[in-house]
Amino acid sequence: MHNWDFAATLGDIDFLLLGLWNTLQVFGLALVFGIPLGLAIALGRMSRIPVLSQLCSFVIEFFRTTPPLVQLFWFFFALPILISVQMTPFVASVLTFSIQSSAFFAEIFRGGINSIDKGQWEAAKAIGMTRPVCLRRIILPQAVKRMIPAFAERSIELLKTTTLISTVSYADLMFQANELASKTFRPLEVYTVVAVMYFFLILVFSQLTILLEHRLARSGEGTLR
Amino acid sequence: MQHTWNFASVFAYWDVLLIGLWGTVYLFVLTCVIGLAGGLVVGMLRYSKNGWISYPARLYVEVFRNTPVLVQIIWFFFALPVVIGVEVSAFMAAFLGITLNTIAFSAEVFRGGIQSIEREQWEAGKAIGMSYAKTMRRIILPQALKRMLPPLTSRGIEVFKMSTLASVVAYPETLQQAKLIASYEYNPIEAYTVVAIMFFLVLLPMVQLTYLLERRFGKSD
Repeated sequence: MHNWDFAATLGDIDFLLLGLWNTLQVFGLALVFGIPLGLAIALGRMSRIPVLSQLCSFVIEFFRTTPPLVQLFWFFFALPILISVQMTPFVASVLTFSIQSSAFFAEIFRGGINSIDKGQWEAAKAIGMTRPVCLRRIILPQAVKRMIPAFAERSIELLKTTTLISTVSYADLMFQANELASKTFRPLEVYTVVAVMYFFLILVFSQLTILLEHRLARSGEGTLR
Repeated sequence: MQHTWNFASVFAYWDVLLIGLWGTVYLFVLTCVIGLAGGLVVGMLRYSKNGWISYPARLYVEVFRNTPVLVQIIWFFFALPVVIGVEVSAFMAAFLGITLNTIAFSAEVFRGGIQSIEREQWEAGKAIGMSYAKTMRRIILPQALKRMLPPLTSRGIEVFKMSTLASVVAYPETLQQAKLIASYEYNPIEAYTVVAIMFFLVLLPMVQLTYLLERRFGKSD
Protein backbone atom coordinates (compact mmCIF):
# COMPACT_ATOMS: atom_id res chain seq x y z
CA MET A 1 0.00 0.00 0.00
CA HIS A 2 1.24 3.45 -0.86
CA ASN A 3 2.27 5.78 1.88
CA TRP A 4 0.69 9.15 1.20
CA ASP A 5 3.09 11.97 1.94
CA PHE A 6 2.08 15.45 0.91
CA ALA A 7 5.01 17.17 2.66
CA ALA A 8 7.21 17.39 -0.45
CA THR A 9 4.36 18.68 -2.61
CA LEU A 10 3.06 21.21 -0.14
CA GLY A 11 6.60 22.35 0.66
CA ASP A 12 6.92 23.46 -2.96
CA ILE A 13 3.43 24.90 -3.23
CA ASP A 14 4.91 28.28 -4.33
CA PHE A 15 6.21 26.53 -7.40
CA LEU A 16 2.69 25.30 -8.22
CA LEU A 17 1.12 28.68 -7.41
CA LEU A 18 3.48 30.32 -9.90
CA GLY A 19 2.16 27.85 -12.48
CA LEU A 20 -1.40 28.74 -11.51
CA TRP A 21 -0.62 32.43 -12.02
CA ASN A 22 0.82 31.71 -15.47
CA THR A 23 -2.26 29.66 -16.35
CA LEU A 24 -4.52 32.53 -15.33
CA GLN A 25 -2.45 34.97 -17.42
CA VAL A 26 -2.92 32.98 -20.60
CA PHE A 27 -6.59 32.43 -19.75
CA GLY A 28 -7.19 36.14 -19.15
CA LEU A 29 -5.38 37.28 -22.28
CA ALA A 30 -7.16 34.68 -24.42
CA LEU A 31 -10.48 36.09 -23.16
CA VAL A 32 -9.40 39.71 -23.69
CA PHE A 33 -8.42 39.04 -27.31
CA GLY A 34 -10.87 36.24 -28.03
CA ILE A 35 -14.13 38.00 -27.17
CA PRO A 36 -13.73 41.10 -29.43
CA LEU A 37 -12.32 38.89 -32.18
CA GLY A 38 -15.32 36.60 -31.77
CA LEU A 39 -17.69 39.53 -32.14
CA ALA A 40 -15.87 40.67 -35.27
CA ILE A 41 -16.03 37.19 -36.81
CA ALA A 42 -19.71 36.85 -35.89
CA LEU A 43 -20.54 40.18 -37.55
CA GLY A 44 -18.48 39.09 -40.55
CA ARG A 45 -20.44 35.85 -40.78
CA MET A 46 -23.75 37.71 -40.62
CA SER A 47 -22.61 40.28 -43.17
CA ARG A 48 -24.43 40.57 -46.49
CA ILE A 49 -21.15 40.43 -48.43
CA PRO A 50 -20.97 36.78 -49.54
CA VAL A 51 -17.14 36.55 -49.67
CA LEU A 52 -16.74 37.93 -46.15
CA SER A 53 -19.49 35.80 -44.72
CA GLN A 54 -18.15 32.61 -46.32
CA LEU A 55 -14.63 33.37 -45.17
CA CYS A 56 -15.80 33.89 -41.60
CA SER A 57 -17.88 30.70 -41.69
CA PHE A 58 -14.82 28.80 -42.85
CA VAL A 59 -12.65 30.24 -40.06
CA ILE A 60 -15.29 29.31 -37.47
CA GLU A 61 -15.72 25.77 -38.78
CA PHE A 62 -12.00 25.20 -39.14
CA PHE A 63 -11.14 26.23 -35.61
CA ARG A 64 -14.11 24.40 -34.14
CA THR A 65 -13.36 21.12 -35.89
CA THR A 66 -9.60 20.89 -35.40
CA PRO A 67 -8.29 19.79 -32.00
CA PRO A 68 -6.79 22.63 -29.94
CA LEU A 69 -3.62 20.61 -29.39
CA VAL A 70 -3.05 20.39 -33.16
CA GLN A 71 -3.60 24.15 -33.46
CA LEU A 72 -1.15 24.80 -30.66
CA PHE A 73 1.51 22.62 -32.28
CA TRP A 74 0.90 24.34 -35.59
CA PHE A 75 1.27 27.83 -34.13
CA PHE A 76 4.29 26.83 -32.07
CA PHE A 77 6.27 24.65 -34.49
CA ALA A 78 5.01 25.53 -37.95
CA LEU A 79 4.14 29.23 -37.96
CA PRO A 80 7.62 30.45 -36.85
CA ILE A 81 9.21 28.72 -39.87
CA LEU A 82 6.55 30.09 -42.19
CA ILE A 83 6.91 33.73 -41.19
CA SER A 84 10.45 33.32 -39.79
CA VAL A 85 9.96 34.86 -36.37
CA GLN A 86 10.90 33.54 -32.96
CA MET A 87 7.88 32.11 -31.20
CA THR A 88 7.83 31.84 -27.43
CA PRO A 89 5.53 29.27 -25.80
CA PHE A 90 3.66 32.16 -24.19
CA VAL A 91 2.92 33.97 -27.46
CA ALA A 92 1.98 30.73 -29.20
CA SER A 93 -0.41 29.84 -26.37
CA VAL A 94 -2.12 33.21 -26.26
CA LEU A 95 -2.38 33.29 -30.06
CA THR A 96 -3.83 29.78 -30.28
CA PHE A 97 -6.36 30.16 -27.52
CA SER A 98 -7.47 33.65 -28.57
CA ILE A 99 -8.23 32.46 -32.09
CA GLN A 100 -9.64 29.10 -31.01
CA SER A 101 -11.99 30.58 -28.44
CA SER A 102 -12.97 33.44 -30.77
CA ALA A 103 -14.42 30.83 -33.14
CA PHE A 104 -16.61 29.53 -30.32
CA PHE A 105 -17.45 33.02 -29.05
CA ALA A 106 -18.45 34.01 -32.59
CA GLU A 107 -21.11 31.31 -32.61
CA ILE A 108 -22.38 32.48 -29.23
CA PHE A 109 -22.56 36.08 -30.46
CA ARG A 110 -24.35 34.99 -33.62
CA GLY A 111 -26.87 32.94 -31.66
CA GLY A 112 -27.46 35.80 -29.25
CA ILE A 113 -27.89 38.45 -31.93
CA ASN A 114 -30.18 36.17 -33.97
CA SER A 115 -32.31 35.52 -30.91
CA ILE A 116 -33.32 39.19 -30.72
CA ASP A 117 -36.67 39.83 -32.30
CA LYS A 118 -36.61 41.23 -35.85
CA GLY A 119 -39.01 43.94 -34.76
CA GLN A 120 -36.20 45.54 -32.74
CA TRP A 121 -34.17 46.08 -35.91
CA GLU A 122 -37.18 47.47 -37.72
CA ALA A 123 -38.07 49.82 -34.86
CA ALA A 124 -34.52 51.20 -34.82
CA LYS A 125 -34.59 51.67 -38.56
CA ALA A 126 -37.94 53.43 -38.29
CA ILE A 127 -36.49 56.05 -35.97
CA GLY A 128 -33.57 56.57 -38.35
CA MET A 129 -30.80 54.55 -36.76
CA THR A 130 -28.15 53.08 -39.02
CA ARG A 131 -27.29 49.38 -38.75
CA PRO A 132 -24.10 49.85 -36.65
CA VAL A 133 -25.83 52.27 -34.27
CA CYS A 134 -28.78 49.93 -33.86
CA LEU A 135 -26.43 47.01 -33.23
CA ARG A 136 -24.52 48.93 -30.58
CA ARG A 137 -27.42 50.62 -28.82
CA ILE A 138 -30.37 48.24 -29.22
CA ILE A 139 -29.35 44.74 -30.19
CA LEU A 140 -26.06 44.01 -28.37
CA PRO A 141 -27.13 45.22 -24.90
CA GLN A 142 -30.07 42.81 -25.01
CA ALA A 143 -28.18 39.98 -26.70
CA VAL A 144 -25.19 40.07 -24.33
CA LYS A 145 -27.45 39.44 -21.37
CA ARG A 146 -28.77 36.28 -22.97
CA MET A 147 -25.28 35.15 -23.95
CA ILE A 148 -23.76 35.29 -20.49
CA PRO A 149 -24.42 31.65 -19.48
CA ALA A 150 -22.99 30.36 -22.77
CA PHE A 151 -20.00 32.68 -22.37
CA ALA A 152 -19.33 31.42 -18.88
CA GLU A 153 -19.52 27.81 -20.01
CA ARG A 154 -17.12 28.45 -22.87
CA SER A 155 -14.72 30.27 -20.55
CA ILE A 156 -14.65 27.28 -18.22
CA GLU A 157 -13.88 25.06 -21.22
CA LEU A 158 -11.09 27.45 -22.15
CA LEU A 159 -9.65 27.33 -18.65
CA LYS A 160 -9.52 23.54 -18.85
CA THR A 161 -8.01 23.63 -22.34
CA THR A 162 -5.13 25.83 -21.15
CA THR A 163 -3.55 22.70 -19.61
CA LEU A 164 -2.45 21.87 -23.15
CA ILE A 165 0.16 24.63 -23.10
CA SER A 166 2.28 22.48 -20.80
CA THR A 167 3.08 20.41 -23.91
CA VAL A 168 4.97 23.34 -25.48
CA SER A 169 6.89 23.89 -22.23
CA TYR A 170 5.09 26.96 -21.03
CA ALA A 171 5.31 26.97 -17.23
CA ASP A 172 1.58 26.69 -16.49
CA LEU A 173 0.16 24.75 -13.55
CA MET A 174 0.29 21.43 -15.41
CA PHE A 175 3.89 21.95 -16.52
CA GLN A 176 4.99 22.90 -13.02
CA ALA A 177 3.28 19.74 -11.79
CA ASN A 178 5.24 17.60 -14.25
CA GLU A 179 8.46 19.25 -13.10
CA LEU A 180 7.66 18.82 -9.45
CA ALA A 181 6.59 15.19 -9.94
CA SER A 182 9.91 14.30 -11.53
CA LYS A 183 11.84 16.27 -8.92
CA THR A 184 10.16 14.79 -5.86
CA PHE A 185 9.34 11.30 -7.25
CA ARG A 186 5.87 11.77 -5.79
CA PRO A 187 3.58 11.83 -8.87
CA LEU A 188 0.55 10.63 -6.92
CA GLU A 189 0.60 13.49 -4.42
CA VAL A 190 1.61 16.16 -6.94
CA TYR A 191 -1.02 15.29 -9.53
CA THR A 192 -3.68 14.85 -6.87
CA VAL A 193 -2.95 18.30 -5.44
CA VAL A 194 -3.03 19.80 -8.94
CA ALA A 195 -6.34 18.08 -9.74
CA VAL A 196 -7.78 19.48 -6.51
CA MET A 197 -6.49 22.97 -7.40
CA TYR A 198 -8.14 22.85 -10.82
CA PHE A 199 -11.29 21.44 -9.30
CA PHE A 200 -11.72 24.31 -6.87
CA LEU A 201 -10.71 26.95 -9.42
CA ILE A 202 -13.31 25.71 -11.90
CA LEU A 203 -15.89 25.06 -9.18
CA VAL A 204 -15.69 28.71 -8.13
CA PHE A 205 -16.19 29.77 -11.76
CA SER A 206 -19.14 27.46 -12.33
CA GLN A 207 -20.81 28.47 -9.07
CA LEU A 208 -20.49 32.13 -10.10
CA THR A 209 -22.11 31.19 -13.41
CA ILE A 210 -25.04 29.55 -11.63
CA LEU A 211 -25.46 32.62 -9.42
CA LEU A 212 -25.41 34.86 -12.47
CA GLU A 213 -27.98 32.69 -14.23
CA HIS A 214 -30.32 32.91 -11.27
CA ARG A 215 -29.81 36.65 -11.11
CA LEU A 216 -30.64 36.97 -14.80
CA ALA A 217 -33.64 34.68 -14.44
CA ARG A 218 -35.03 37.07 -11.82
CA SER A 219 -34.72 40.06 -14.14
CA GLY A 220 -36.58 38.03 -16.75
CA GLU A 221 -33.72 37.91 -19.22
CA GLY A 222 -32.08 34.61 -18.43
CA THR A 223 -32.14 31.29 -20.18
CA LEU A 224 -33.15 29.53 -16.97
CA ARG A 225 -36.79 28.50 -16.73
CA MET B 1 12.21 33.89 -46.33
CA GLN B 2 9.85 31.94 -48.49
CA HIS B 3 9.02 28.47 -47.29
CA THR B 4 8.69 25.81 -49.96
CA TRP B 5 5.87 23.51 -49.09
CA ASN B 6 6.73 19.88 -49.43
CA PHE B 7 3.78 17.66 -48.65
CA ALA B 8 5.43 14.67 -50.34
CA SER B 9 7.60 14.26 -47.24
CA VAL B 10 4.43 13.71 -45.20
CA PHE B 11 2.57 11.53 -47.64
CA ALA B 12 5.61 9.26 -48.00
CA TYR B 13 4.69 8.18 -44.46
CA TRP B 14 1.02 7.59 -45.23
CA ASP B 15 1.12 4.20 -43.53
CA VAL B 16 2.37 5.84 -40.32
CA LEU B 17 -0.49 8.34 -40.47
CA LEU B 18 -2.96 5.56 -41.20
CA ILE B 19 -1.88 3.74 -38.02
CA GLY B 20 -2.45 7.02 -36.21
CA LEU B 21 -5.90 7.49 -37.71
CA TRP B 22 -6.79 3.93 -36.71
CA GLY B 23 -5.55 4.66 -33.18
CA THR B 24 -7.70 7.80 -33.06
CA VAL B 25 -10.82 6.06 -34.35
CA TYR B 26 -10.31 3.05 -32.04
CA LEU B 27 -9.95 5.29 -28.99
CA PHE B 28 -12.87 7.47 -30.10
CA VAL B 29 -15.30 4.58 -30.65
CA LEU B 30 -14.50 2.90 -27.33
CA THR B 31 -14.58 6.11 -25.25
CA CYS B 32 -17.69 7.40 -26.99
CA VAL B 33 -19.76 4.20 -26.75
CA ILE B 34 -18.82 3.38 -23.17
CA GLY B 35 -18.94 7.05 -22.19
CA LEU B 36 -22.49 7.51 -23.51
CA ALA B 37 -23.76 4.25 -22.03
CA GLY B 38 -22.18 5.09 -18.68
CA GLY B 39 -23.55 8.61 -18.94
CA LEU B 40 -27.08 7.27 -19.31
CA VAL B 41 -26.67 5.19 -16.14
CA VAL B 42 -25.10 8.02 -14.12
CA GLY B 43 -27.67 10.48 -15.49
CA MET B 44 -30.52 8.29 -14.26
CA LEU B 45 -28.81 7.79 -10.88
CA ARG B 46 -28.40 11.55 -10.66
CA TYR B 47 -32.14 11.94 -11.31
CA SER B 48 -33.03 9.48 -8.53
CA LYS B 49 -35.04 10.80 -5.57
CA ASN B 50 -32.98 8.75 -3.13
CA GLY B 51 -30.20 11.01 -1.81
CA TRP B 52 -27.85 8.09 -1.18
CA ILE B 53 -27.93 7.37 -4.89
CA SER B 54 -28.17 10.83 -6.41
CA TYR B 55 -25.57 12.51 -4.21
CA PRO B 56 -22.58 10.26 -5.06
CA ALA B 57 -23.58 10.47 -8.73
CA ARG B 58 -23.61 14.26 -8.46
CA LEU B 59 -20.20 14.28 -6.76
CA TYR B 60 -18.78 12.10 -9.52
CA VAL B 61 -20.17 14.38 -12.23
CA GLU B 62 -18.83 17.53 -10.55
CA VAL B 63 -15.35 16.09 -9.99
CA PHE B 64 -14.94 14.95 -13.58
CA ARG B 65 -16.53 18.02 -15.15
CA ASN B 66 -14.46 20.42 -13.07
CA THR B 67 -11.01 18.98 -13.75
CA PRO B 68 -9.21 19.19 -17.10
CA VAL B 69 -9.06 15.95 -19.10
CA LEU B 70 -5.31 16.28 -19.48
CA VAL B 71 -4.91 16.29 -15.70
CA GLN B 72 -7.06 13.17 -15.53
CA ILE B 73 -5.06 11.34 -18.21
CA ILE B 74 -1.74 12.27 -16.58
CA TRP B 75 -3.10 11.27 -13.19
CA PHE B 76 -4.15 7.83 -14.47
CA PHE B 77 -0.80 7.41 -16.24
CA PHE B 78 1.62 8.54 -13.54
CA ALA B 79 -0.28 8.49 -10.25
CA LEU B 80 -2.62 5.50 -10.51
CA PRO B 81 0.27 2.96 -10.90
CA VAL B 82 1.60 4.16 -7.55
CA VAL B 83 -1.74 3.42 -5.90
CA ILE B 84 -2.50 0.03 -7.46
CA GLY B 85 1.09 -1.09 -8.04
CA VAL B 86 0.41 -2.05 -11.67
CA GLU B 87 1.73 -0.32 -14.79
CA VAL B 88 -1.00 1.60 -16.64
CA SER B 89 -0.55 1.62 -20.41
CA ALA B 90 -0.82 4.83 -22.43
CA PHE B 91 -3.99 3.51 -24.03
CA MET B 92 -5.53 2.63 -20.67
CA ALA B 93 -4.72 6.06 -19.18
CA ALA B 94 -6.19 7.91 -22.16
CA PHE B 95 -9.19 5.58 -22.27
CA LEU B 96 -9.93 6.02 -18.56
CA GLY B 97 -9.48 9.79 -18.63
CA ILE B 98 -11.63 10.44 -21.69
CA THR B 99 -14.31 7.85 -20.85
CA LEU B 100 -14.84 9.01 -17.27
CA ASN B 101 -15.00 12.59 -18.52
CA THR B 102 -17.50 11.70 -21.25
CA ILE B 103 -19.66 9.83 -18.72
CA ALA B 104 -19.81 12.96 -16.55
CA PHE B 105 -20.68 15.30 -19.41
CA SER B 106 -23.23 13.05 -21.08
CA ALA B 107 -24.81 12.27 -17.69
CA GLU B 108 -25.75 15.94 -17.49
CA VAL B 109 -27.19 15.86 -21.00
CA PHE B 110 -29.28 12.77 -20.16
CA ARG B 111 -30.46 14.25 -16.89
CA GLY B 112 -31.44 17.51 -18.59
CA GLY B 113 -33.27 15.61 -21.31
CA ILE B 114 -35.19 13.44 -18.84
CA GLN B 115 -36.04 16.48 -16.72
CA SER B 116 -37.33 18.36 -19.74
CA ILE B 117 -40.16 15.82 -20.21
CA GLU B 118 -43.37 17.07 -18.62
CA ARG B 119 -44.45 15.62 -15.28
CA GLU B 120 -47.81 14.58 -16.78
CA GLN B 121 -46.07 11.97 -18.90
CA TRP B 122 -44.87 10.23 -15.72
CA GLU B 123 -48.31 10.49 -14.20
CA ALA B 124 -49.97 9.12 -17.31
CA GLY B 125 -47.58 6.17 -17.30
CA LYS B 126 -48.37 5.51 -13.67
CA ALA B 127 -52.11 5.88 -14.30
CA ILE B 128 -52.15 3.02 -16.80
CA GLY B 129 -50.21 0.86 -14.35
CA MET B 130 -46.64 1.13 -15.68
CA SER B 131 -43.75 0.74 -13.25
CA TYR B 132 -41.08 3.46 -12.91
CA ALA B 133 -38.60 1.50 -15.04
CA LYS B 134 -41.17 0.77 -17.71
CA THR B 135 -42.34 4.40 -17.91
CA MET B 136 -38.73 5.47 -18.22
CA ARG B 137 -38.00 3.00 -20.99
CA ARG B 138 -41.20 3.24 -23.00
CA ILE B 139 -42.45 6.80 -22.46
CA ILE B 140 -39.76 9.13 -21.16
CA LEU B 141 -36.53 8.02 -22.86
CA PRO B 142 -37.87 7.82 -26.43
CA GLN B 143 -39.08 11.43 -26.17
CA ALA B 144 -36.07 12.68 -24.25
CA LEU B 145 -33.55 11.06 -26.63
CA LYS B 146 -34.91 13.14 -29.49
CA ARG B 147 -34.22 16.34 -27.56
CA MET B 148 -30.80 15.11 -26.46
CA LEU B 149 -29.59 14.25 -29.94
CA PRO B 150 -28.05 17.66 -30.82
CA PRO B 151 -26.06 18.09 -27.56
CA LEU B 152 -24.93 14.46 -27.70
CA THR B 153 -23.59 14.91 -31.23
CA SER B 154 -21.61 17.97 -30.19
CA ARG B 155 -20.27 15.93 -27.28
CA GLY B 156 -19.15 13.27 -29.76
CA ILE B 157 -17.26 15.91 -31.74
CA GLU B 158 -15.57 17.10 -28.54
CA VAL B 159 -14.57 13.53 -27.70
CA PHE B 160 -13.07 13.05 -31.15
CA LYS B 161 -10.93 16.15 -30.68
CA MET B 162 -10.06 15.10 -27.14
CA SER B 163 -8.46 11.92 -28.45
CA THR B 164 -5.41 14.00 -29.48
CA LEU B 165 -4.60 14.40 -25.79
CA ALA B 166 -3.57 10.74 -25.79
CA SER B 167 -0.44 11.88 -27.65
CA VAL B 168 0.81 13.41 -24.40
CA VAL B 169 1.30 9.92 -22.97
CA ALA B 170 2.63 8.71 -26.36
CA TYR B 171 -0.37 6.63 -27.42
CA PRO B 172 0.01 6.27 -31.22
CA GLU B 173 -2.92 8.35 -32.46
CA THR B 174 -2.88 10.77 -35.40
CA LEU B 175 -1.12 13.68 -33.71
CA GLN B 176 1.49 11.45 -32.08
CA GLN B 177 2.30 9.90 -35.47
CA ALA B 178 2.57 13.38 -37.02
CA LYS B 179 5.01 14.32 -34.24
CA LEU B 180 7.10 11.30 -35.22
CA ILE B 181 7.07 12.27 -38.89
CA ALA B 182 7.92 15.88 -38.03
CA SER B 183 10.91 14.81 -35.96
CA TYR B 184 12.21 12.42 -38.67
CA GLU B 185 11.78 14.75 -41.59
CA TYR B 186 12.00 18.18 -39.95
CA ASN B 187 8.73 19.15 -41.63
CA PRO B 188 6.46 20.33 -38.78
CA ILE B 189 4.60 22.75 -41.08
CA GLU B 190 3.44 20.07 -43.48
CA ALA B 191 2.95 17.35 -40.85
CA TYR B 192 0.76 19.43 -38.55
CA THR B 193 -1.10 21.03 -41.47
CA VAL B 194 -1.99 17.58 -42.76
CA VAL B 195 -3.27 16.54 -39.32
CA ALA B 196 -5.35 19.72 -39.02
CA ILE B 197 -6.88 19.10 -42.45
CA MET B 198 -7.54 15.45 -41.60
CA PHE B 199 -9.50 16.42 -38.50
CA PHE B 200 -11.31 19.16 -40.38
CA LEU B 201 -12.41 16.77 -43.11
CA VAL B 202 -13.56 14.10 -40.68
CA LEU B 203 -15.45 16.45 -38.39
CA LEU B 204 -16.98 18.90 -40.88
CA PRO B 205 -19.76 16.47 -41.91
CA MET B 206 -20.42 15.75 -38.25
CA VAL B 207 -20.76 19.47 -37.50
CA GLN B 208 -23.14 19.88 -40.44
CA LEU B 209 -25.15 16.98 -39.01
CA THR B 210 -25.37 18.83 -35.69
CA TYR B 211 -26.81 21.88 -37.42
CA LEU B 212 -29.33 19.69 -39.20
CA LEU B 213 -30.34 17.94 -35.97
CA GLU B 214 -30.63 21.26 -34.17
CA ARG B 215 -32.98 22.60 -36.82
CA ARG B 216 -35.07 19.41 -36.77
CA PHE B 217 -35.21 18.59 -33.07
CA GLY B 218 -33.89 21.70 -31.36
CA LYS B 219 -36.92 23.88 -30.81
CA SER B 220 -40.15 21.98 -31.34
CA ASP B 221 -41.03 18.29 -31.20
